[in-house]
Amino acid sequence: MMLPQYDLTSDKGLTVFEFVSVGKKGKIPKIVQYSETEKKGTFNLGFGDKCLQTDEFDDTVISNNGDTKKVLATVAATVYAFTDEHPEASIYAKGRSKSRTRLYRMGLTGVLSEIVKDFELYGLRDGGWHEFVKGVQYDAFLIKRRS
Amino acid sequence: MKRNEELNKSKLPIVKTDRSLDKYKKRVLFKKKLEKANETLRSVGLPKGLQKSKA
Repeated sequence: MMLPQYDLTSDKGLTVFEFVSVGKKGKIPKIVQYSETEKKGTFNLGFGDKCLQTDEFDDTVISNNGDTKKVLATVAATVYAFTDEHPEASIYAKGRSKSRTRLYRMGLTGVLSEIVKDFELYGLRDGGWHEFVKGVQYDAFLIKRRS
Repeated sequence: MKRNEELNKSKLPIVKTDRSLDKYKKRVLFKKKLEKANETLRSVGLPKGLQKSKA
């Protein structure tokens, strides 16, 4: 099932995405960036608010704009777009806090049946990677498009 | 109409290109998160399944 999501814009290489969250606190510009880590081909998913005045980015702020599901669905859509352009890439994702990581896990769990058709999905727990299982808490996630 | 049906079924979002975002391509916007990701990946590596596919 396709969840509602925001319109996306990106750079030419599909590594930086922008969208605008619209909710009870107004319009909040959001940015998603895929940055390559020291492990070649593995990219960190960075996600946060964009301050229009300073052109700075903040991944610590809790917007509380009342549209969490739509925002998560939009971030998930960037994963599809990024891996369509970079099919060999794997993506590392971790929330800035435990609660944010839990939110990611809940988001993944909600669309798990769709995601596993297209991606290999791992969770980091007890110092090692494990295949993602619903209901288990993880410290971070790693996903890779199935070839 | 077929194109619209295909687009509706597709999981790929429609993404408009905005060349003004190209300026961020070589700038790491979330440095601390990237540093932490590197620390973790140095420590635990990649899942075994992914190591095979990257070899």
